[in-house]
Amino acid sequence: MANKSVWSDNRFWQRTAAWVTGFASILLIWLTFDTSAQISMGNDADLKNGVTKRVPGPTVINYKISYEMSTKRGHEVPYIGGNDGKGGSLFKEKEKFFGRDDYSEKEAGDLLHLGKLGSQAKNCMDCHTLMGNGAYYAPDLTKAWLDPAWGPEGSMQAVTGKSTKEEAMAEFLQHPELYPTHARMMPNLGITAQEAKGLVAFLKHLSSIDTNGFPRNFGKIQGALNGK
Amino acid sequence: MFEQFTDVVPSFFGWLNQGPLTLTIFLHTFIILPMFWIYSQEKKRLEQEK
Amino acid sequence: MANNYLKSESKQLATWYFTFAAIIFGAQLVFGLVAAIQFVMPSFLYQILDFSIARILHINALVVWMVFAMFGSVYWLLPDETEIETVGIKVGKLLFWVFAAAIVVVVLVFLFIQVGPADQTTIWFITEGREYIEAPRWADIGIVIVALGFVANLFLTGIKGKQTGIVTVLMADMIAFAGLYLAGMFFTDNISVDQYWWWWVIHLWVEATWEVFVGAIAAYGLIKMLGAHRQVVEMWLWIEVSMLFGSGILGMGHHYFWIGTPEYWWEIGALFSALEPLPLVAMFVHVLYDWGKTQGAQEAHGDKVSVIKNKPAFTWFVLNAFGNFLGAGVWGFFHTLPQINLYTHGTQFTAAHGHLAFFGAYATILIGMFYLAVQGKNGIKVMKSTKLSIWSTAMITGGVMGMTVALTIAGYVQVIVERAQMGATWSGYFDSQSGVWFTQAMDWRLLMGVITFLGFILLATDLLRTGKSAIHER
Repeated sequence: MANKSVWSDNRFWQRTAAWVTGFASILLIWLTFDTSAQISMGNDADLKNGVTKRVPGPTVINYKISYEMSTKRGHEVPYIGGNDGKGGSLFKEKEKFFGRDDYSEKEAGDLLHLGKLGSQAKNCMDCHTLMGNGAYYAPDLTKAWLDPAWGPEGSMQAVTGKSTKEEAMAEFLQHPELYPTHARMMPNLGITAQEAKGLVAFLKHLSSIDTNGFPRNFGKIQGALNGK
Repeated sequence: MFEQFTDVVPSFFGWLNQGPLTLTIFLHTFIILPMFWIYSQEKKRLEQEK
Repeated sequence: MANNYLKSESKQLATWYFTFAAIIFGAQLVFGLVAAIQFVMPSFLYQILDFSIARILHINALVVWMVFAMFGSVYWLLPDETEIETVGIKVGKLLFWVFAAAIVVVVLVFLFIQVGPADQTTIWFITEGREYIEAPRWADIGIVIVALGFVANLFLTGIKGKQTGIVTVLMADMIAFAGLYLAGMFFTDNISVDQYWWWWVIHLWVEATWEVFVGAIAAYGLIKMLGAHRQVVEMWLWIEVSMLFGSGILGMGHHYFWIGTPEYWWEIGALFSALEPLPLVAMFVHVLYDWGKTQGAQEAHGDKVSVIKNKPAFTWFVLNAFGNFLGAGVWGFFHTLPQINLYTHGTQFTAAHGHLAFFGAYATILIGMFYLAVQGKNGIKVMKSTKLSIWSTAMITGGVMGMTVALTIAGYVQVIVERAQMGATWSGYFDSQSGVWFTQAMDWRLLMGVITFLGFILLATDLLRTGKSAIHER
């Protein structure tokens, strides 16, 4: 009679399970070290020295941010302080944020800290998505800072009676019930003026994170045919 | 054959990612190969038990 | 309690867990309905119980009832598997009350306080604002203590009693399950780091440790309900563990495509997660195979009676085998490749997958465990289906399936209009939300949600009544 097949032997499968699970776990931990180093937050010196970080330092709020196709990467990437023409950021062009473009590392860091705390304390992710994660009741905020609706050609500055993007966003966040954009309206969450400033800094920083080209074609198509 | 590195920061895993599937084929192979060894060990054990 | 056939304290504790789980299950559906109504009628409870709050309660109640039912399932099967009474049952009972009380406080805070100022006190006492694990930090610490107590009970019992393959798998799985929660308990300003670790909790729960838990429970159920051969069942279990962890652990890469993490995750996430449906196919085949095999063996002896000792529970176990494959496997595979996920990520596609996967993979088998407990508690030898159990099963399954199809169609509109055509802006988003296909899909989702909820009421009624029914063999 033939031997019992190894394939129908419990011990073989038990050892296989142990090996596969153990090795996959070790690989995941190794990958986590590699990734953690790549997604650690940069600092002001990086921005001044032109070092590209996936997650730039908080003082990125002093710079102009855009989201354009990179021929090197093959998808859109955030450009900080202009495009160097070779698929990377220029780190030169500044942009005023609430009237200033000289926030120190500490000031910008405090604003970002306040904004990130605010994003959690107000449960933003239970209506909106951030980098695509969250709820689907309201628009994705990954690149909200770059949304044409808030820019000079968009409607939101006029609607809120403000002359800059950041002021319009802060005003909306404090009194969303006054500026409906759809039957689905954002509720008033008791956001203070300082918290609103922090949240806008958080959104500006969020738009500078390299998300491997997500979302695709953000803000490129205006006045397209309505899909109804 | 070796592609120019395109990601932001070069890394070991990024380097293994040389065109379609190279990285996962490498990782999957690495997971499957020791199973041959486990198989032969268990086969020997079953034969001895008999 | 009168007429209680349970000799084991562990099993009695299990029935407490199951009862609390069923109540929270009902709460989950109620808040789901509120959220579904708000999609159709946005002014409903506006600034009173906003969508964000309804959704927090909907998804947190989901997680909590499943965790309660999972703890209950382990306390239920431990005496059967180890052949001894569970060690530390007094501590187990105390922890049950601690856990339940903490949950009630967290829910009341979510309901009535809702949001807080942007500082650490909110994170510690009101909400952490991180999807699925919004529970404030104090509750996190409580949950860790309760989970450690539970794992300690499981380990001490497993070491002292007979250590079957099922118990071994559960021991390894549950310690990972409890330990992973720690990855979600810190605050950082860096949202990429935040989401990286957040997925360690969410993904490694639902696509790894919870799935292995389901494999172990299904193995136990097959032995209990069919009298399936333990050696065969446990071999399948080890194969499932290899495939589930082999694909699921690195399959986490499919959450790392767009959160600021390096590009190599595209490939790792795509290929490993693409293999995730395989073990689910295996589990499906396995359940049907064992059923046919035991039934055939019995008929070969000339006995035509069904081998199933608990019809309603077995129905839910079979629905689990199929629903896990369809909801987690097929609906997950739909959008797991990065070239597709670039457009579907963060749309109603995900919601469709979420509804069918949580239901198919987890709700079904845990409802099956409720029925096993009703059978055991009432000393029933062969438990049969009642009209109520058949209607409730059909309505809940049909309702969830209907919601899934509706959300999938809503997802088409969102992907095509918002993502592909309009580039995901604020106005693109609302254009997709006002598309006819989208709004009609949301009407259907609400209707199907109501059917699911009515089915739940029938289910709860049946669970309370069927134990006393005269149709079962005692």
